[in-house]
Formats: sequence, C-alpha cells, structure tokens
Amino acid sequence: MKLTDREQDGVVVLEPRGKIMGGPDATLLHDKLYEFIQQGRTKVVIDLSRIEWMNSTGLGILIQGYTTLRNSDGQLKLAKVTDKIQSLLTITKLVSVFDAYDTVEDAIASFN
Amino acid sequence: MMKPVIKGNRIWIPSNQEYLSDVDVFIEGILRGFGADESAVADIAISVSELVNNAILHGNKSASDKAVTVTISKSDGCVEISVTDQGAGFDPCDIENPIDDANLMKEVGRGIFIVRSLMDQVEIEASDRGTTVIVTKCI
Repeated sequence: MKLTDREQDGVVVLEPRGKIMGGPDATLLHDKLYEFIQQGRTKVVIDLSRIEWMNSTGLGILIQGYTTLRNSDGQLKLAKVTDKIQSLLTITKLVSVFDAYDTVEDAIASFN
Repeated sequence: MMKPVIKGNRIWIPSNQEYLSDVDVFIEGILRGFGADESAVADIAISVSELVNNAILHGNKSASDKAVTVTISKSDGCVEISVTDQGAGFDPCDIENPIDDANLMKEVGRGIFIVRSLMDQVEIEASDRGTTVIVTKCI
C-alpha cells in the first residue's frame, strides 16, 4: 500500500493506494493518523477509490482510526468506497459504524 | 535466513508478514492463469491473505524457524488452496463471532469469518503439529 495525504477545507484527505493485507500496511496508516491527531487535525476522510482490496487487517485499521479520532473529539469518514470493500463492510456489519459518501467533496461537506 | 521458495503450484514463506505480498503475487498470477475473473481473484486473494496472516501470527507465532506453505490447484472449475503452518493448532470453536454487538468494534478477529463469507467451502484440520486450512471456490 502507498499513502498520500492532502488538506481541503480544513479536512485531512488520506488517499491510500494498492492492497491492505497486513504487516507494514497496518503501521503506515496508523502512524499517519496519530501524526495528524498530535497536530490537532482530527477531521479525516479516507478516499478508498484506489484500494484494490483489503482484508480484516484493513478493516481493523479503519476501526482503530475511527475510535482514535473519536476519542480525540474528531471524526473519520469514508469516501468512494469500492464495491469490494462495501461488501466486506456489509458482511461484517461495519457498514453501520462508518459514515460513507459517494464523493470526497460530500464527505468534507458533512463536517459542517 | 529463509526466503520464499516457489515450486510448481506451491510456495513456502518464512513466518514474517513482509512475505505476504510474495504469496499474493504468486496466488493472483496462478488464478489469472486459471481464467478467474477479477472479482474471484480478489475474493480468493483476500482469503489467502487472511489465512497466511493467521498462520504466521497465531500458528507459528512469527517464529523464524517455522514456515507457512500455500498450495493451489484447480479441478472441475473449482480452485482449492491449502495453507499450512507448523504451530500448536487451535480449536475453531474458540473463535468469537465478530458480528456480535460486543465484538463489532474490536480491531481483530474477523479473518476466518471473512474467509467463510468469500469462499464456497472451508475445512480446518488442526493438530499439535500444525494447522491446515483448505478453502475452495468455484470460478
């Protein structure tokens, strides 16, 4: 997995690419989220459109990010969830946990 | 230090997650050679990554002298993959249901549940010499 980030309207937009399968992938996203929290940047959108697939490690990372940001008075939202990831969120019932939006812009606007 | 070894339709990797991508490249390449569509390739690749993670972390407990073996074959339009570790085995009944409300926000514990959802058949053979999980999906 590769990870880039940018800021738009006061919201951090994370753009992971590739596959999230475990090992180094897990620490990369986790460390980045902690970096933002320490900087006081706690409104985060993850654009999942470039993720080919993720396994339970990826779902665990999303849960960890969601919980960590919420405990810091922030929020994690998802955008452009692919069909494959949506299917995983549905079968694991995590679809009820995450706020997901069709576009990054809609996800950013939801913070207001 | 051990390195991944590929022989025919089998790959051996040391018990280290840095080799997950070696297994993925190996499995996805063979699946495309079998003619699997991209959705089936992803479902099987996700499942194999779950099983190899379990074998490394829970089976072999990341011991450097233990390996994980992954074998893939196709018969009658169905792909069969086995993942074997050299750990102490486990009781599948000990796995908690990850969709229970009490477990929903846990960061771990969904691997086998996802494998059972994505694959057509899952068999677990556990002993004190290791665990083999055999999964099948018709493509």
